[in-house]
Order: sequence, then structure tokens, then C-alpha cells
Amino acid sequence: MRMAGAISALLLAGTAWGKTPQFEIEIADHLFLPDELRIPADTKVKLVVFNRDPTPEEFESYELNREKVIMGGRSGVIFIGPLRPGLYPFFGEFNPGTAQGRIIVE
Amino acid sequence: MMLLNSVILVLREVLEAAFIVSLLLALSQGLRQGARWFAWTLPPAAMGTALFAAILDRLTEALDGAGQEVTNAAIQVLVYLFVAAIVAMAARVEARPHWRLLQGLMAGAVTLSLVREGAEIVIYITGFAADPAQRAAVFAGSALGAGIGVSVGILLYCALRAMDPTRALALCLLLLGVIASGMLMQASMLLEQVDWLPSATAVWDSSGLVSERSIAGELLYAVFGYEATPSALQLALYLSGLAVMALAWLAPRRLHSA
Repeated sequence: MRMAGAISALLLAGTAWGKTPQFEIEIADHLFLPDELRIPADTKVKLVVFNRDPTPEEFESYELNREKVIMGGRSGVIFIGPLRPGLYPFFGEFNPGTAQGRIIVE
Repeated sequence: MMLLNSVILVLREVLEAAFIVSLLLALSQGLRQGARWFAWTLPPAAMGTALFAAILDRLTEALDGAGQEVTNAAIQVLVYLFVAAIVAMAARVEARPHWRLLQGLMAGAVTLSLVREGAEIVIYITGFAADPAQRAAVFAGSALGAGIGVSVGILLYCALRAMDPTRALALCLLLLGVIASGMLMQASMLLEQVDWLPSATAVWDSSGLVSERSIAGELLYAVFGYEATPSALQLALYLSGLAVMALAWLAPRRLHSA
């Protein structure tokens, strides 16, 4: 289940031309799976965050200028980019001790 | 660790609302309008906060997943508009403004600010209420964070009331205008997040100078809506927001003297 989530997150879901590439991340046990995403530079991408925990989490990133509360057992859509190549950390504001991840734009 | 996280999270939310509340209360007292309207805001703010927190999961899925951002952005734009109207009225008291309307606008701006910041705190605290291992730290940290935030607000209020009234009025209007313009910019970021507004690359990156993670960055964010990596659209909105505030403040006087 988690493995499948991790693999699907690494693959571009939207391969059709002109479609916004889609990536998926899961939150489980206050961890991001995967905790590292590679996305193309200068491209807008759609990120779907599934919260598998029963507790709420807030996806937050200062570098990406993004913040979104995702309730327990729910999912949320966040568009990011176009971005310059670089490292963009994100974290779960409700559990910053464990929920840490990064997006690598290349 | 959890204790400190809770202090920081709640403090951040409380500070943003505390600045608006303190500035409007000081402004109201300075204009001899009392603080009674503030008491009226508490029941609707409490109900609004509980409702917002309760329906957030359904709200998030509304509008093709854009509901949470669109609602928050709408609240921020409304607060901006209320503050612009307050600034325009407070800047020309010699024209005898409609005091009831002014109090209503202040109550509206405070209620919306409290609901927005309060809902996140409620979601955070209730999320941990069922977790016996974390509960105590989260409750204690949240109480501490709220206490510090409210204290800063009270300090700001007292400082403004101790100042020369003319100066205090000007400072209130200035800070309100700047904070509200920052909210307008934050609203545009929320709409970019759900692709309702086009997203663009940042015009600059000042995170090396002042990181948004630092205490200075957080304070600058709470007052000026500081963004280390703003886009051209965000900058344009911020500057237009300030320009409209300046007009609301200064234009009536120019017309009077003309």
C-alpha cells in the first residue's frame, strides 16, 4: 500500500500532452511518503496530499508559499510552480518533529 | 519538543488576530467610541470558529478542492475592505461619520480575523485531544502561546493609548493599512495554490537576508505580510492595497482643503 503510494508519487500521473503533471504524497504516522519529490523546473504541477492519519495535518512550506489544512482521512490538492531549479522543503505544521519533506526542482 | 511546537503554532495565529484587535480597540477608544462593539464580536466569533472548524473537511472538497483556500481568501479580502472603509471614516472625523457604521465595520473585521485564526487553533488542539501521549504538551503549549500573543496585543494597545492622541491615530491607521494590504497579498497566494490565479516565479528571494522561519521573519509577516519570495502579481496587489489605503486616508482631506 505504502510502496504503491511511493511508486505512484514518483511517476507522472498526467502523461497526456498539455495536462498538468500530477504527483501524490501520503501522510502516515506523521511522516510524508515519499519525503522527497522530484518535479520539472518551470512547470506547474498538481500535488495531491492524502492524509492517512486520523488526525489533521497542515501541509506548509515557506519556500513554496503554500499552507493547507488536511483533515484526518482526507486529501487535499495543492498546485505548485512554475519554480526555478532548487530545493524546496515542506513540513507538517502540526507534527514538525517528524513530518518533514522536500521537493527537488530540476 | 511538542510543547514548543504548540507555543509557536498558536502564537503565530494569535499574533495576527491580536494586532488587528488591539489596533481597532485603540482606534475606537481614541475616537471616543468605546470598546462595547468588541463584546458583540465574541459570540459570533466563537460560533463562526466552531462552525468553520467543523465543516472544514467538507469545505476543503468544495469547488473542486479549492473551497478551503477560496473561503480563507474571501475572509482576508473582506477584512481588507472593512479596514479600508474604517481608515476612510476615521481619517475624517470632522465630517461626523456614521459612528454606528464605523463600530459595525470594526466588529466585522475583528469577527472575521478571530474566526480565521481561531479555526486553525481549534482544529490543531482537537486533533490532539484524543492522543494521551501528546495531549498535555499540546494543551500547555497552546495556552502559553495564546497567553504570549494576547500579552503582546495588550502591550500594543497600552502603548498606543499612552501616546499623544493625534500620533496614536496616525500610527493606528498606518499599521492597519499595512497589515490589511499584507492580507490582500496572502489571499492571492491562497488563490494561486488552487490555480484560481496564475502562479509565477518569484521576483526576488530575500530568504538569505530575512528568513520567513526566523523570529524577525515571523514578526515582519504578521505586520507587513512579509514574503521572502513574492511574485510580480503579489507585489502589485500589495502596492495597490497600500495605494488604496493611502487614498482612503488622505484623499478626503485634500478634497476638503481644495
